[in-house]
Amino acid sequence: MNPYLAGVILGLTLLASFLILGAGLGASGGLARMAAYGELCVAPEHTLSSAYFGAWGSDPLRYYLVFMLAGLVLGGLFSALLSGRTSILVERGASSPRSLRIILALAGGVLVGFASRLAQGCTSGQALTGSALLASGSLVFLACVFAGGYAAAWFVRRQWHD
Amino acid sequence: MIETFFGQDALSTPGAFLAALFLGAFFGVALEQAGFGSSRRLAGIFYFRDMTVLKVMFTGLIVAMLGLAYCTGLGWVRADQIFYLPSIYGAQIVGGLIFGVGFALGGWCPGTAAVGLASGKLDALLFLGGAAGGSILFNETFDLVQPLYVLGDRGVQLAWENLGVSQGAFALAFTLVAVGCFWGAEAIERKRTGGGEYLNTPFLKTFSVALVFLAVGLFALSGTGTSGGPAAPPATEVGILAEVESAADHLEPEDLADRLLAGGTDLLVVDVRSAAEYEEFHIRGAIHVLLPDLPAQLEPYKNRGTIVLYSNGMTHPAQARDALARLGFQNVRILTDGLAGFRERCLKPVSLRDDPVPPEEARKINAWRAHFSVSDAAAPGAAAALGQVAVSAAPGASVPRSTGLPGLVETEWLARNLAMKGLRIIDCRSQPSYNGGHVPGSVCMTPEHFRGVVRGISASLLPADILGRHLSLLGLRPEDTVVILPEEKLQDATLIGIALERAGHLNYAILTGGFAKWAKENRPIDTRLPEIVESRYPVNLEADRFSVDAAFVLERVQRGGAIILDVRPADYYSGKKSDEARAGHIPGAINRPFSEDVTKSGDLTVFKPAEDLEKAYAAIVPSKDSTVIVHCRTGHQASQTFFVLRNLLGYKNVLWYGAGWTEWAARPELPVEGPKDTSSSPGS
Repeated sequence: MNPYLAGVILGLTLLASFLILGAGLGASGGLARMAAYGELCVAPEHTLSSAYFGAWGSDPLRYYLVFMLAGLVLGGLFSALLSGRTSILVERGASSPRSLRIILALAGGVLVGFASRLAQGCTSGQALTGSALLASGSLVFLACVFAGGYAAAWFVRRQWHD
Repeated sequence: MIETFFGQDALSTPGAFLAALFLGAFFGVALEQAGFGSSRRLAGIFYFRDMTVLKVMFTGLIVAMLGLAYCTGLGWVRADQIFYLPSIYGAQIVGGLIFGVGFALGGWCPGTAAVGLASGKLDALLFLGGAAGGSILFNETFDLVQPLYVLGDRGVQLAWENLGVSQGAFALAFTLVAVGCFWGAEAIERKRTGGGEYLNTPFLKTFSVALVFLAVGLFALSGTGTSGGPAAPPATEVGILAEVESAADHLEPEDLADRLLAGGTDLLVVDVRSAAEYEEFHIRGAIHVLLPDLPAQLEPYKNRGTIVLYSNGMTHPAQARDALARLGFQNVRILTDGLAGFRERCLKPVSLRDDPVPPEEARKINAWRAHFSVSDAAAPGAAAALGQVAVSAAPGASVPRSTGLPGLVETEWLARNLAMKGLRIIDCRSQPSYNGGHVPGSVCMTPEHFRGVVRGISASLLPADILGRHLSLLGLRPEDTVVILPEEKLQDATLIGIALERAGHLNYAILTGGFAKWAKENRPIDTRLPEIVESRYPVNLEADRFSVDAAFVLERVQRGGAIILDVRPADYYSGKKSDEARAGHIPGAINRPFSEDVTKSGDLTVFKPAEDLEKAYAAIVPSKDSTVIVHCRTGHQASQTFFVLRNLLGYKNVLWYGAGWTEWAARPELPVEGPKDTSSSPGS
C-alpha cells in the first residue's frame, strides 16, 4: 500500500484512540503486562512483592493495552492473510548466517523491552502518541530513538547483507 | 462534547477493553499494510535504503496531531479527557537511546513485531520474547533503575509552550518539517536504490499541500492561534475569554497539592463554600471567604502571588474569577474540578483506584494524603488520615472525621503500603506462630500485654499511663498508622484497638483475614524481628471517654437513657450457664452475642458485611445517636461489638463497660435479672 495512505489510516486510528479511550496507542505496555503475568505464574510471591510489577496487582492482564496488543496481532494477521504476505521464516540477508540474526533479534528485544519500561512507552506509546500530543519529552524520546538506532546500525549491518 | 473512557475513569472496564481490541485491530491493519510485517523493511531506514518507516510514522503523527487540534479547537473534546504523557527527560533520553540501539539490532519495535509475528516471522517471535525478558529485567532491577526512571520528571510539558510559540504556529512548523522529510526521503530512496516512486508525483504534491492547508486552517479556530506563550494579562473581556478558552485560568489539583506540600508561600488558597462545609473539611492551609466578600478580602493579595479559588464544583469560582478579573485581579485561578476533583485525584487512596498506580505516583499520593487528609482545624495529629483508608467502613463517610474512625484494611492495601513511613503492624497470634514467620516489620503482641488486675478486677484493661509505656516500648509515635492482624478471635484485635484508643491513638485499622489471608496470598513473610527504637508516646489521659463503671451503668439501669447490650453467648445471658458469682444479666440488657457479628470466609474469621451488620443493629438500637453500653464478662468480647458499632457502623455514643459481668455478678448490691431459681438479686 501507498505508505502515506497507510500513515493516514494509522493517524486516524490514533485520533480515534484519543477520542474514544482518551489515551493513545501502545504495544509495549501490553507486552510488559504479559511478562508480569508470566512471572506471576512462576513466582507469585516474588512478583507481587516486587516494586514495579507488584503495583499491577494479581491480575495484570486486566488492562486496556493488553487487549490492544491482542487486536494488533489479529488485525495484522487479517491484513497479512488478505494480502498474501504470510510465510514462516527468519528474515535476514541472504549471505548472513541465521544464528547472527537470531542473536540480534533476541538481544534487540531485551534492550527494547527494558528501554520501553524505562521510558514508559515504545515507538507507539511514547514516540507516536506523545509526539502527536506535542509532549516535549516524547519528542525528545523520538529523536533519541533515531540517534541510538543510527549509532548502532553500522555495527549490525551484516545481518542484512545479501 | 466527547467523554472518553479515560475522562470517565473507566479505562479498566469491559467497554474500554472492547474498544482497545478494535482500535488495536485497525492499528495492526495500518502497520501491516505499510509493510511493517518485515524487519528488513523496518531496518531499511537505518541504512537509508527504505524510508517507509519515516513516511508512515510522520504521516500518522501529523494526521493525529492536526485531527486532535481541530477536535479540541472546535470544542468537541476537552483536553482533560485525554491522558497527556508526562515529560521525564532523563528516562526518556536514556530510554530512547537504548531503545534505538535495540531497534537497530532487532529490526523490530514492539508494535511492528506483533504484526511480524502475525505474518509468520520467527525473528519477531524471538524479539517479542526478548522484550518480555527485558521487561522482567527492568522489574528485577527496578531498585537500581528507579532514580533514572524519575530523573528529570517535569510533569506534562508541551513543546510549543516550552518554545513560547502558539500551538498553531508549532503545528504548522511541524507539518512543514514533515512534508520536507517526505520529499527528502523520496529523494534519498531515488538516489540510493532508484526507488522514491512518489518523488514529484501529483499525489505527493497534493498530499503535501493538503497537510499544510489543514495546518494553516488551525489558525482560523479561535484561541489556538493566539493563546500560546506566557499569557498576557487580560485587560479586556476578550482577554478574559481567551484565558478561559485556553484553560490558563485553571490550576490542576495535583499541581496545587505539590505546590502546597512544597510549602509554597506564593499561594493563597480560598475556600468559597459555606462556613459549615469549610468547618467540616477544607484543603489544609485554605482560608474561608464568602463570595460577596471576595473583592474586599482579597484586595491585599491583588496581583501578588497566586490566588486559587475553589468550591465543590467549578461554576461559582469561575464566575468569581471573572468578576475579580474585571476588577483588575490578574492572579486568580480556579481549581480544576473543585474540591471534588481534589479529593478524587489527590486524596483517593491508591488501593481504591481502578487503574494501577505506578510506584512513584503512589508515593506522591500517599504524601498528599498524609498532608491533606486532615484539615488544620480537624482532630490533632494524623488521626483522621486512616478514616478514608478504611476500605470496608462504608457508612463512615457521614461520620465527623474528628472521631478518627478506624476501620478495616485489606491485604492488598497492606502489601502496597508495607514500606510506608510510620506504618506499624501488630500481630495478635501466639508467639510460636509469630516466630515461624510474620509480616515483615510486624511485632507480636496479644491482648494480654494490655491487661492486668486493676482495683481487684482481673483481666482489666490497664490504665492509659501504663499503656503509654507499652506503646513507647513499641516505638509508636502519634502520627503512626497501626494495622492489627487478628487470628481467629477478632476480639483480640479489637481489644488492642481499644487499648490504643484509651491512650489516644485513633489511627489504627484491622486487617481483614489477618495473617492467615496474607500467608495464603503468598505475600512476603519474614522471620526476623523488627528493629525498633523506643519512643516517648505522649499519652492523652483524657482520650478515654468511652469507658464506664458499674455506678454509671446502674444509674442508666434505674433511670433509663441507654441501651445495654450484653454480648455474651445466649446461655450465659439467660443464666443457664454461669462461671461467675451470680447467673443472669443486668436488668433490661439486650442480648446480642458478639459471635453474631462475624462469619467464616473459608477458614478465615471475618466481620459480616457492613450492610448485614447495619440491618441487625438498626433492629436493636433506634438511632446512631442513641447511647449504647456494651459489656461481656471482662470487656474482651465487648470490645468487638464496640468496634463494630462505632468504627464500622458509625454509632456516635457507644460506651464500654469493661469490668462487665465479672464485677457486676460479684457485687451483691447490684440488681440481676436471671433464672428464677438462682436469683438472689436484692433489687428484684
